[in-house]
Amino acid sequence: MSVAPASSSVRLPEFIRTTTFRWTLVASGALAFCILLMFGFVYWQTAAYMTARVDGILAGESVMIAGAAPERRLKAIDERLSQDPRRIRLAGLFGADGGRIAGNLESLPDRLPTDTPPRRVSVVRIDGEGREEQTARAVARRLQNGEILVIGRNVDELSELARIVERALEFGLIPALGLSLVAGALLSLRAQNRVETVNNKVQRIIAGDLRERLPTQGLNDPFDKLAVIVNGMLDEIEALIRSIAGAGDDIAHDLRTPLTRVRIGLERGRESAQTLPDLQSVVDQAIGRLDQSLAIITALLRIAEIEHSRRLDGFSDVALADVVREVGDLYEPIAEDKRIAFKVTADVEPIVRGDRDLLFEAVANLVDNAVKFSPEDGCVELALTRRGNECVVRIRDSGPGISASERDLVARRFYRSDNSRHTNGLGLGLSLVSAIAKLHGFRLTISSGPHCVVEIACPSLVNRPTAEPAPVYGAGVAR
Amino acid sequence: MAKVLLIEDDGETATEIMAELVGRGFEVDWAATGIDGLDKARRGEPDVMIVDRLLPGMDGLTIIEALRKDDVRTPVLILSALGAVHDRVRGLRTGSNDYLTKPFAIIELVARIEALLRQPADNRDTTLRVGPLELDLLSRTAKRAGRPVELLPREFRLLEYMMRRKDQLLTRAMLFEEVWNYKFVPQTNLVDVHMGRLRHKVDKPNESPMIYNVRGAGFILRAPA
Repeated sequence: MSVAPASSSVRLPEFIRTTTFRWTLVASGALAFCILLMFGFVYWQTAAYMTARVDGILAGESVMIAGAAPERRLKAIDERLSQDPRRIRLAGLFGADGGRIAGNLESLPDRLPTDTPPRRVSVVRIDGEGREEQTARAVARRLQNGEILVIGRNVDELSELARIVERALEFGLIPALGLSLVAGALLSLRAQNRVETVNNKVQRIIAGDLRERLPTQGLNDPFDKLAVIVNGMLDEIEALIRSIAGAGDDIAHDLRTPLTRVRIGLERGRESAQTLPDLQSVVDQAIGRLDQSLAIITALLRIAEIEHSRRLDGFSDVALADVVREVGDLYEPIAEDKRIAFKVTADVEPIVRGDRDLLFEAVANLVDNAVKFSPEDGCVELALTRRGNECVVRIRDSGPGISASERDLVARRFYRSDNSRHTNGLGLGLSLVSAIAKLHGFRLTISSGPHCVVEIACPSLVNRPTAEPAPVYGAGVAR
Repeated sequence: MAKVLLIEDDGETATEIMAELVGRGFEVDWAATGIDGLDKARRGEPDVMIVDRLLPGMDGLTIIEALRKDDVRTPVLILSALGAVHDRVRGLRTGSNDYLTKPFAIIELVARIEALLRQPADNRDTTLRVGPLELDLLSRTAKRAGRPVELLPREFRLLEYMMRRKDQLLTRAMLFEEVWNYKFVPQTNLVDVHMGRLRHKVDKPNESPMIYNVRGAGFILRAPA
């Protein structure tokens, strides 16, 4: 809303300056204009009709009187004038020189040519009641003997009609306008009140009360609809804030633990270390734990980065079998060290749409977990196969597995099953994989029960031609 | 003595970095603002630069862009609290040579500075030699004092990288990024396991060791004394 210029001393009330009120003014103006136009039309049509009717009468009478014999003519004029209680008839007979012979007209009207259609003139009426100037429609005819006959009719009736219309306007238009202005002001005040209520609520929300919602009146008006939309948005924001708060608690917990250990270790080292190597070993331990905390932060930021990156941004065609083989190559020695039988197979050579580095990271994370949780002399399988028209990366280990109740939790940040408390890890691996799968639109499934099986199912683009013939069903049925 | 220009607005970080680098025999010049840094980079002719990305009123990348435009090829390492992959990619695209995310181990910084100062010469030889160790790049074979060393492709890549950078401390992160070309931080000590394999093949029990593990830092390949 614009601010009144500094020079203006009077500020209009708030409700007058609202858009609603301005629109009311515009609407009232338009209404008034329409009413004026309508009344004007009615007046114009009526006046035209009445005038035409008067003119017809005048023409008829003048022809009749003019056609009568001279002696009958004076009588006809008298008769015509005598039967006129409303005193609207006018008639006059004038000599060729313009001198008055008979009738109630004082003189031959100026600007009234003879033998033309009736027209509007100003005349002076004289009769028993005196002398009066009137506006009239009149027609003049020159008679055979040179005299001029004037027949007229007072049309003050028309002015009367105009006055009636004016009065109707006064009684109709002014109250209507006033009413519409009042209605506008009321609407404006009401809208303003609702804005004020909403503003109060919003201020409370800004102040941190996220449970607050905008009021609705169940009226299904635009204001209510807007409030419903905003409330929906607030629901979403509240849920998000709560989840962030939850994640924050998790972060605080998992960061505080190593940091507390660092602090205790350093304190103890400071008190008890006797030699430099003693102190160094304490400091080394502290640095190791700090690195762990930093790794947690890095991993969290990484998940956030993946969750917030836009899909397809930097996506390309990825040969998934190559990724699987590379991960296998990277983890083979680690598995071997633990005497774990590590089997890597790729039955198909699919091309998927995705971010190669992220897909590598996801598969590597799953293999990392599998190797970590499998006991010595166990086995881990990394396989790429086809199922229906999608390809599946499957990682199976011989570890303790995940119970059904824990299955949904493991993809959550920081969740580590009780079984894994003694194994190194940040508890972020699966949530990272989950974020990557989500970004790609792939499906991540984790089996429950012993010997965990994790699968990433992805729709593949094409089967890259391979040296070995692909399985028969692979080429035909899949698409 | 190599000259290092450090452009870093945080005084405490700068002091620590300078102390470490001076202790290792570098000559260090410090600029706390971008303008000052650009000025010193142009006039001081440093051998290597360390540039913080978030400087007051200026992105460190702007400095590098300005220098590269003037055809100043001094190797640059970017220090940054912005660790997302796209930040990193953008940093390297600007013309910097390495990118290190804060917080970092000081030894990591030193190793990377050394690496930048000793960028391997564009060696056209098809055989690399370090002491008794020989790597034939054409036949993809390795020998140590006549004894054939059987290497898997990944071990060959790792050894080639180390031989091109003999006597340099190579941190785990550097190896993981450069040899494996991966940008994430592995949870398991992948590099150690692979290095253990390689060492097992290169250094037999009766031979003097060539691959050294520098505790808490990384690995060095050295000709036996």
